[in-house]
Amino acid sequence: MNVASALFTGTGQSWNSVRVLLLAAALLALPQVFGQGYYLNTLNFVAVLALPAIGLSLLSGMCGQLAISHGAFFAIGAYGSAILNVRLALDPLLATVLTQAIVAVVSAAIGWVVLRLRSHYLAIATLSFSIIVEVLIKEWPRLTGGQQGMTGIPPYQLGPLQLGSDAAVYYVYWPVTLLMFWFALNLAQSRIGRVLRAIREGEPVVDSLGISVARHKAMIYIVSSVFAGLGGSLYAHFVGFVTPATGSIMFAIDIIMVLALGGFDRLWGALVGIALITLLNEYALGFADYKRIILGAGLVSVMLVFPRGLLPGLFDLGRRHLRGTAK
Amino acid sequence: MLSVQQVGKSFGGLAALSDVSFGVSPGEIKAVIGPNGAGKTTLFHLISGLLRPSAGRIEIAGRAVTGLSAVQIARLGVARTFQQPQIFRTLTVLENVMLGGHRSGRSGLLACGLGLPAARAEEHRLADAAREQIDFTGLAGSAGRIASELPLGQQRYVEIARALATGATLLLLDEPAAGLDDTETGQLSELVRRIRARGVTVLLIEHHMDFVMGLADSVLVLNFGVRIAEGTPQSIRESQAVIDAYLGTTEDA
Repeated sequence: MNVASALFTGTGQSWNSVRVLLLAAALLALPQVFGQGYYLNTLNFVAVLALPAIGLSLLSGMCGQLAISHGAFFAIGAYGSAILNVRLALDPLLATVLTQAIVAVVSAAIGWVVLRLRSHYLAIATLSFSIIVEVLIKEWPRLTGGQQGMTGIPPYQLGPLQLGSDAAVYYVYWPVTLLMFWFALNLAQSRIGRVLRAIREGEPVVDSLGISVARHKAMIYIVSSVFAGLGGSLYAHFVGFVTPATGSIMFAIDIIMVLALGGFDRLWGALVGIALITLLNEYALGFADYKRIILGAGLVSVMLVFPRGLLPGLFDLGRRHLRGTAK
Repeated sequence: MLSVQQVGKSFGGLAALSDVSFGVSPGEIKAVIGPNGAGKTTLFHLISGLLRPSAGRIEIAGRAVTGLSAVQIARLGVARTFQQPQIFRTLTVLENVMLGGHRSGRSGLLACGLGLPAARAEEHRLADAAREQIDFTGLAGSAGRIASELPLGQQRYVEIARALATGATLLLLDEPAAGLDDTETGQLSELVRRIRARGVTVLLIEHHMDFVMGLADSVLVLNFGVRIAEGTPQSIRESQAVIDAYLGTTEDA
């Protein structure tokens, strides 16, 4: 009982490792129990889409900076990988690494200019950036394929292993996503995470302690954008094509809604939220057609019942219930 | 320690402070008093870099700091508290104070994200150092509590502990005794003396006259943004200019 409850409430980086390892073990066991069905394909999408969600949770949930550029960086990740790979014939792995370097440089440049602004200006400025990226993708067909997008993006080749099947992708993508997730969890509980949470509470006070708010905001914006960019690269080499719909502004807004649903300040909320939406999208009949209506209505209901988001709300409920039964 | 030379600050033509000069010697407890709107908090904002002076020069430990940012000034060993306690409300008391000591740590992004042993060891050191300040300010039982759950008086102590954790040599306290009863004010006086005994120079703003007169080595009086008197508590108590400022002159009456 004690260990079980500590598993949910224990803090500290060791608990992060324990929880992530347990999740990894469960994911590893899944194909052994259920076989290699089509559901692995869906879970691969969860692994890919979790990355921008985790990134945004770090930036918006922890540090309180709302950015709408995560769709754009997902797109830059996907198109960067596609262009370097298809047009310049670079190895997918090399293309992915180079693309993240590009994402880091672009986000550093934006962060430098934009993060001097306070949060709602940040939202507007990153929205403008997203529009520019979307226009560039549509209007530069020689580079991006324009409205048609690009096809024939090959999967990753790791030595003799080609990630051509859902199962192969599953066994490589999930460890990558879990590693990034574990990194984010550790960061959240470190001295840097503490500064980010303090920035959400009051920027001038952080400055008055000799801690540079501007530097930390820029740092987490870059990290957060690279999470989104990596998701984009993994996506491109998984599905094999990119179109202007990849990482559109609506995609960014979907992720923000997922975070609101799962609980903005919980990294686990980002993971659970994205898994929930992706699974519903795939398996709930008609969900995809009415996704935004259902998501919107769901979000409003969750906000009314659990203002802090679904996961924290359920946790509070569970704790109250436990306390009730204990008496 | 601190030298303020002919400093002025105006907000769109309205002078909040003009031609204010004074000094604070190392190890001194100096109080700034004056009626509401005298420019005391503005003066603190100028010293701590939250605002930039329109005129004059400020030196800290012999170094000109006029025009430096709040971050740069804090790094020179200046820490402050605010009139309305500015704690990080959703963080625990321990986390609040650990943020004060943040700069003594070195772990970067990778060390933190990978949870490297060096980063963990450093985190323990930070927590230990913070606990020392928490004990020193008498908050020992509250380290694990969410800061906003503490009563206002204790939130001030959180701010003081956090400021001390920065290792500051000059501490600026903005109305630390506001809202405290007599017993609490007495405890605060005693704490400020212990802070001084550690070699920290203290400059404080206060309205509570008994507190100021019993604690400060010297007192600076501002009125309408102008220095009207400076001296020992005794000389301030007897100064006609100060009495006029607080009670109004006979001509006005």
